[in-house]
Amino acid sequence: MGTAVTLVKDSVPATRKARSAAPVTKGRRGRRENLAGYLFMSPWIAGFLLLTAGPMVASLYFAFTDYNLFNSPKWVGFDNFTAMFDDPRWRKSVEVTAKYVVIGTPLKLLLALGVALLLAQSRRGQAFYRAAFYAPSLIGASVSIGFVWRSLFSDGAVVDRTQSFLGFHVGGWVGNADWVLYCLVALTVWQFGAPMVIFLAGLKQVPRELYEAAEMDGAGPFRRFWSITLPMISPVLFFNVLLETIHSFQIFGSAYVVSNTYCGPADATLVYTCYLYQKGFKDAQMGFAAAMAWMLLLAVALVTAVLFWSQKKWVHYEEDAR
Amino acid sequence: MSATTTKPSALGRRHTGSLVWHLGALLILAVILYPVLWVIGASFKPSKDIINSLQLFPGHPILSNFKGLADGIADIKIWTFFENSLFYALGSVVGILISCSLTAYAFARIRFAGRNLLFSLMIGTLLLPYHVLLIPQYVMFQKLQLVNTYVPLLIGKYLATEAFFVFLMVQFMRNLPKELDEAARLDGCGHLRIYWSIVLPLCRPALITSAIFTFINAWNDFMGPLIYLNEPGKYTVSLGLMMFRDSDGVAANYGGMIAMSLVALLPVLLFFLAFQRYLIDGMATSGLKG
Amino acid sequence: MGTGTNVERRTVLKAAGVSAVTLGLAATACGGNGGTSADGTVTIRYSWWGAEERAKKINQSIALFEKKYPKIKVKTDFQTYQSFWEKFQTQAAGGNPPDVFQNAVGFLRKYDRRGILLDLNSQVKAGNLSLDHFRAGVTKVGEVDGKQLGVPVGSNTMALVIDKKVFEKAGVDPATGWTWDDYFKALKTIHDKTKVPGDTGYFAIMYLYDLYLRQNGKAFFTEDGLGFDKSDLTEWWTDGYGRVKAGIVTDPKVVAQDQPKSSLSAGHGASEFTWDNFTVRYSAEGSSTYGLAPIPTMNGKDTGQYLASLMLSASAHTAHPKEAAQFIDFMVHDPAVGQIMGYDRGILASTEQYAAFKPTDTVSKEIAQYEDTTAKSGVLGTITPHPSGADTVEAAFLRIGGDLGQGKTKVTDAVKQFFTESEAAFQA
Repeated sequence: MGTAVTLVKDSVPATRKARSAAPVTKGRRGRRENLAGYLFMSPWIAGFLLLTAGPMVASLYFAFTDYNLFNSPKWVGFDNFTAMFDDPRWRKSVEVTAKYVVIGTPLKLLLALGVALLLAQSRRGQAFYRAAFYAPSLIGASVSIGFVWRSLFSDGAVVDRTQSFLGFHVGGWVGNADWVLYCLVALTVWQFGAPMVIFLAGLKQVPRELYEAAEMDGAGPFRRFWSITLPMISPVLFFNVLLETIHSFQIFGSAYVVSNTYCGPADATLVYTCYLYQKGFKDAQMGFAAAMAWMLLLAVALVTAVLFWSQKKWVHYEEDAR
Repeated sequence: MSATTTKPSALGRRHTGSLVWHLGALLILAVILYPVLWVIGASFKPSKDIINSLQLFPGHPILSNFKGLADGIADIKIWTFFENSLFYALGSVVGILISCSLTAYAFARIRFAGRNLLFSLMIGTLLLPYHVLLIPQYVMFQKLQLVNTYVPLLIGKYLATEAFFVFLMVQFMRNLPKELDEAARLDGCGHLRIYWSIVLPLCRPALITSAIFTFINAWNDFMGPLIYLNEPGKYTVSLGLMMFRDSDGVAANYGGMIAMSLVALLPVLLFFLAFQRYLIDGMATSGLKG
Repeated sequence: MGTGTNVERRTVLKAAGVSAVTLGLAATACGGNGGTSADGTVTIRYSWWGAEERAKKINQSIALFEKKYPKIKVKTDFQTYQSFWEKFQTQAAGGNPPDVFQNAVGFLRKYDRRGILLDLNSQVKAGNLSLDHFRAGVTKVGEVDGKQLGVPVGSNTMALVIDKKVFEKAGVDPATGWTWDDYFKALKTIHDKTKVPGDTGYFAIMYLYDLYLRQNGKAFFTEDGLGFDKSDLTEWWTDGYGRVKAGIVTDPKVVAQDQPKSSLSAGHGASEFTWDNFTVRYSAEGSSTYGLAPIPTMNGKDTGQYLASLMLSASAHTAHPKEAAQFIDFMVHDPAVGQIMGYDRGILASTEQYAAFKPTDTVSKEIAQYEDTTAKSGVLGTITPHPSGADTVEAAFLRIGGDLGQGKTKVTDAVKQFFTESEAAFQA
């Protein structure tokens, strides 16, 4: 299954399966290998220390300080964290982001899977449709599409008119605090092509014999889907769920552009990273923003851990079966 | 997915099934493509008609939106934004290709102490939210007086911070037959030689995929330039687009904004049309050869 | 391995070469901090906020300046208002703010506290900058604790913009010195006779609330905090929303929908309080005729008005204070610049520029007229001081008022929230 499965398995703790033993080549050859290895890795190591590990440590420090860029950071202990939980706008940003993830991700993945199932039926033009459905994923994150989306969901534009035509007038979604988040949901669902392509690849890997055998046993299409397709593509499904969820926690650009940079109206599109950006770069409360970032990290780590743990229950790896 | 049959009654069913399938797919396609078609059509409409007119394509297309673009915005030519974006995108591609392939080769082909640990660390960075790094990185670059340059935007690309592409290449390299390596090793080639002369050429599909994705990501990148670039003359296309908004968000030149949005999308769409096989195959099956 | 490998290798080598050049280029493309070149030419950076039309005018003005002072080059950049202050903040924090920049009264104390603003009095003494020849004491706007931190470029004062056609249809004729009672009665009349709400949301406008408070002996700000208490704001917002319910003030949800257009231009309200120099916007956006009406009063005379102004300031860290001062002096006093800029940044503040620019379009004429009358009527007072954090408080007022408007919160909670956030802003 290519990328998907191997990624997942490589991230799985080594205790779960007997991975190949750590490569320790002995003697002079080993030392030469080590030298070569580290030479090749030097850009990555430099990057990791300078741009990842270093900043992570620094931001952990900042999270416990009051730092407005002008003065030196002042240690305040857990104040930023308590302030966060007391801050109604912070709570709102968590709520908005959670809503977005919980509604948008399943919708997107369901659509991706559904269309992949449709396309996997090897009709003529499959390649064309696959490419066409994938195209939005490439441009969805751009400012251009942000503008287009804002226009389409404005008062008097196509979405508004269609709704009114169908009988329930709301007005433009971008100005309506109750509906504007669904603009963003629609935008992410529009980009279902990327997970769809991965699902398609996973579906292609399912051996035909399994289906043929099941058909001969009298299994109907739903049964075949439930008992064969789903388990066989579960690694790919896991991969998509993991990546999509983590990705959607961090949405920024779309919210910023569609809401015309205010992340409103009435904070209705104040996604977590938008509030982080406002606190850090507008209010210059870098300590608070760093604390927010670490909370995000913890949340993502938690979700990732839960997903990985749940793997045992429903993800079926080919090698396990043998 | 379903086994094909050739029974005569099934054939008839297949034809109607095929029709339904095509209709369904076309319907989805229409909804998917609507925004793209809309922006094309809208760029030929006068500013006041853009939102209110429901027709996709105007009855009397006008060119003034595009002509207006040629005048630039605030005395900066639109072309400047494109140059900057091109610089950023190409610079990123070069950086990614070099640094990620070197790193991937090490992971895939060199047995060095600590390899597994570093590999796990790298995968870990895939799951790391960027915002944890954002502020310290900014502070660091500011202290180094590198804000308002492209260094903060490009340096990561040359230091293999994009784990996704390292991973893509590692997968690809792992599937290359080791015999070639071993033959070269017997001939006395060191790792550098093997990397350059054997592995890299065979990685062409992965390299091309990485290059294209990197180009598109850099082209669309908004947050990086937003934070690090201060001078309109240095803006990329994505920031230049934002300049069409007035102080209170009134688009002084709505038509120009839409026209510019379309023009900004074109390179990505063109890349896509030319290279979509690489992109899609890269996404889906990078681990397998061919 | 043959030609294939060699091609690859050459490509990679070329790429490596390109990348080295790229990095080198990027590193040298450093943020142009003002510098002095070998021949003694000084470069200064000038940042401002606004939009494209202003950009054209500024660039023309700069061209004139560089002609007069060939040894000074001006590099300019601009953003939208929000982005400008974000950028400015981070640049200032890095010790690298622009040499000259546009400024507003709400930011003076904030950046003075951080030592970012140059006291221009020193440059006045050195003869590089003149504070004479300004209208109606507007230079006070840039004064903080005896320091001159900004020089006004264009003044404005609050006004009431009305849709003349709707007012005529309803038979309402606003007269100078009319009271708030008269005003609210008028809103009702307009709504009854024309179905259009009389006003687009007066209670959301912080500077109007300031005038109302001033008429009652208070003010929005004091030198270090808010100049009113929770019960004042509760009353203001409760009354305001009561009027929304009664239909005489436009529903905030409609206002949000109309954005970025104003509800006045969209025909969803008949009047709007705003800065007088923004009047031009309505004629551009809307299809009716618009004019200026007087601010309602408590006692039939005092409106609480004052002149505010956009300003030019210089950085305390600039390497070229003399050139910065000369640039500011040119931009605010030179008559040719006045003719180019027009009323884009407010009614021209210096007497030379005010005399040099004769507005030709009706709206600008009316604005100039309005400022004249207001000044002559003697109602202009001193501007309300803006403590450090005023900009954040203003944003909070807008935002929380907006939340109220969308029905997302109750008045008591909103007032509490506002006061909490303001406290935090003053401390920051």
